[in-house]
Amino acid sequence: MTDALFLALSTLAIWSGWRVFRVDSMVRASFQLMVSFIAVGLIAVLLAAPYIGIATIFMMAVEMMVMALFMVMFMMNPAGLNPMVMVHQHRFSIAAGIIAFAGLTAAVLLSDLPVQRVPEGVDVVRNLGHELLGPSMLIFETAGVTLLATMIGAVVLSAHSGRYGASDTGSLPPGLTPGGEPAGRKPENGGHHHHGGH
Amino acid sequence: MIAATLILLLALPPLVWVAAMFDRIGAGRGTVVMGPLQNGAALVLRPNTETEAPDRLNRLLAPGWYLALALVGLSVVPLAEDVVASEISTGLVLWGACEALTVVVVFLHGWSPNAPLPLIGAYRYVAIALPAMLLSMFVLIGAALPAQSLSVVEVVEAQREIWNVIRQPLGLPLFMALGLAITLRGPFDYADGAELAGGTSAEESGPALALWHFARAAMLVAFSAMAATAFLGGYLGPVLPGPAWLLLKTLAVMAATVAAGRFFVRMPPARMLTFLWVVLLPLSFASLALVGVEVLP
Repeated sequence: MTDALFLALSTLAIWSGWRVFRVDSMVRASFQLMVSFIAVGLIAVLLAAPYIGIATIFMMAVEMMVMALFMVMFMMNPAGLNPMVMVHQHRFSIAAGIIAFAGLTAAVLLSDLPVQRVPEGVDVVRNLGHELLGPSMLIFETAGVTLLATMIGAVVLSAHSGRYGASDTGSLPPGLTPGGEPAGRKPENGGHHHHGGH
Repeated sequence: MIAATLILLLALPPLVWVAAMFDRIGAGRGTVVMGPLQNGAALVLRPNTETEAPDRLNRLLAPGWYLALALVGLSVVPLAEDVVASEISTGLVLWGACEALTVVVVFLHGWSPNAPLPLIGAYRYVAIALPAMLLSMFVLIGAALPAQSLSVVEVVEAQREIWNVIRQPLGLPLFMALGLAITLRGPFDYADGAELAGGTSAEESGPALALWHFARAAMLVAFSAMAATAFLGGYLGPVLPGPAWLLLKTLAVMAATVAAGRFFVRMPPARMLTFLWVVLLPLSFASLALVGVEVLP
C-alpha cells in the first residue's frame, strides 16, 4: 500500500514537473510546479515526517500563488491565459537538464545514505525545533533576515509611492546643489524600457 | 477515526443548510428555511454556461477542490475526547495548508473561465487573502503555544483550565478576519463581490454554481468549528456531552462571522491591503508576543 502510494506520488511529481515546461501559460506552469511539490510533500508524510511534508504543501501553495501573480504582473502575457512559449535556450537547457539529472541520480545511488528507522512516536516537530534553534540557528536567522530585507527592498523599489514622490509625477531625487541636476543615474535614451526575459 | 469521518460527512449537509439560513436572515433573499433548498434545486436544473477558450479542467474542478479543502480542514477538529477524523500530530499545519490552497482554488475559479470580471475578482482576492492567511498563522501559533503542540487535540486539552479566548483576547477577532476571507464574505469578499456581478462566479451557472455555494458554506462550517476549537475550548464544557458543546460553539462562531460580514464595510482593495499589513499583521505579532510572555515559565 505504502509502496503503491509512493510510486503513484513520485510519478505525479515527475509528470507535473515535466508539464511545467510543456504548458503555455505562466499560471499553468506555476500550479503544475505546485502539484509536483504537493506530491513531494505527501511523500514526506509517507516517510513519517508529517510536519516537513505538510509544511511543504503549505509553503508551496503560498509561494506558487505569489509566483503566478508576480510573473503575470511583470510579463507581456496579461492574465496568463494567452498561449505563450515558456522555454528558451533549448540546447543549453537540455544539456543542463541531462547533466543535472545524471549527477543527482549518481549522487543518490552512489552515496552511502544512513539507514535509520524512525520510531513511531518520535517528536519530529520538537527535534526539528531543536535543530533549527540550536546548531543551525545562525544560518537560518541570517537567511531569514536577508530574505526579509530583500522583500522589503523589492517592495520599496517597485512601489508606486517612491522615495522621492509618486512614480507618475516624476519621482526625481533632489539635486546635489540647490536647484541643480537631479542626483542619481540618468535613464538612457529618454527612459526606454528593456523587456527582460523570464 | 472512521466513525468520526462518517459523523462529519453526515453532519456537514445540515450544517451547510444552517449556514445558508444564517446568510438569509434579514437579507431579503427569499424564505429563510426553505430558500437555500429552493435556490439549490433551481440551480441544479439550469445548464452550466460556456465561456470562450476557458481552462476546462480547472473550471470543472475548482468548486470540488473548495469543498474538499473544507472537508480536510474540518477533519482535524476533534469531536470529543479521542474522537477525531485525522489523528495527525500537526493538525494546525494541515489546517494552514487548507487555508493556503483555498486561496489558490478561488484564484483558479476566477482565472479559468477566461473572462474579465472573474479575473479581476481572482487577482484582487489573492492580494487580500494572502496577508489575511499570514496573520491567521501567527494567531494559530499563539493558540498552539500553551499546548506546546501543533496537534489540535492537544490545543483543546490545554484549554481545560481557561479558554484561549480569555488567555489571548486578540486571537479570535483576528482569526475571524481569515474566516471572512476564506468564505468570501463581507469586508473580505474581494472575489465574489456584487460590484463585479459575482466576481469569480460571474460566468457560472447551474450545478457548478450550486456546488460553489455549497462549498463556500461548508468552508464557513469548517472555519467555525476550527475557531471554536482553537479559541473556545472545542468540545470542553459542563453538563452537556462534548459534541453538543462543539456544535453550539460552532453555531455561535458561525452566527458571529455572518454578522461580522454584514456589519463591516468593504474598503477599496488598496486601503484594505494597507490596513492588513500595517494594522492587523502587527496586531497578530503583538498577540503572539503576549502569548509567548504568558507561557514563559
